Amino acid sequence: MSELDVQSDVVADMRRHQVWHGLRDAWPVMLGFVPFALVLGAQAVQKGFAVIEVPMMTGLNFGGGSEFAAVELWTSPPHVLLIVAITFLVNSRHLLMGAALAPLMRNLSRRQAFAVLFLMCDESWAMGLADARRSGSGLRLGYFFGVALGLYGCWIAFTTIGALVGPVLGDVTRFGFDMAFPAVFLVMLAGMWRGPAAARPWLVSLVVAGATHLLLPDGAWYVPAGAFSGVVAAYAWARPA
Amino acid sequence: MIDPLHALTIALMALTTYMTRIGGYLLLRNRTVSVRTKAVMECAPGCVLITVIAPDFVTGHPADLMALALTTLAATRMPILPTVIISIVSAAILRSVLA
Repeated sequence: MSELDVQSDVVADMRRHQVWHGLRDAWPVMLGFVPFALVLGAQAVQKGFAVIEVPMMTGLNFGGGSEFAAVELWTSPPHVLLIVAITFLVNSRHLLMGAALAPLMRNLSRRQAFAVLFLMCDESWAMGLADARRSGSGLRLGYFFGVALGLYGCWIAFTTIGALVGPVLGDVTRFGFDMAFPAVFLVMLAGMWRGPAAARPWLVSLVVAGATHLLLPDGAWYVPAGAFSGVVAAYAWARPA
Repeated sequence: MIDPLHALTIALMALTTYMTRIGGYLLLRNRTVSVRTKAVMECAPGCVLITVIAPDFVTGHPADLMALALTTLAATRMPILPTVIISIVSAAILRSVLA
């Protein structure tokens, strides 16, 4: 065995170790994904998704917030442009996350970087970043993929299970099952809470969207109205440094 | 079966999301993002999520409004599972009591 072979063996070994380390760190988060995923899958089928379309969406898009918004706004046929625009708005924070991760990805090839970014969600981003800071040597691929693939697999698997199990429960609007959906949204919002000042634009969105819905109950006008007014409010309230 | 329009919507969603994932890495890595842009990007997901559920807040059914208030309270204090259970149970009970 040449010295180089031994070295690459050591590297492969370290990477396997990192993958396990990542998976071990990720599993509490995976557990937290399960109820979200089940509710999303069940509601998607209720809204007219074929079962196979659920893992298609969650596997190709892999962005929970945008998927919840899309399913909530889903009609037959879907408003394609509305859903795509909302997807962009919900996921625009990825732009900042990618920019923050970039300095820690100098050690990666372009192809590796694109694979990492495909799997970048709030949780994998935060955990990968924290690990990179601990190691002091940039993003560690093994660790990141351990975390990210664990989360990715969990999300696809349990949204699919939700899609399969949902119809067995029957109409989710019977009893109080429909309330689970706003409940999930509110939990997501609570997770994004950064104090009352930062949340003022949310209130603008809520009021404008609610009023628009009362005035124009047909169609989804409340969505662009609420989202746009909130974003404008956030822009206006932001204090220049 | 896969509906073509569903597939198109999902494909465009996926493309849009991937653009946001690689866009920051490709375009913003050597730039300073203005405070305002940053504020907007950080605030936008919350604005959209609250917008999407806004119709639930302006429903005319008192039982639903009360259940929503309880759910909001729970969401600020508890993890997802108890919150979801509280939302379902409170909606079911309040609807049957106030119906």
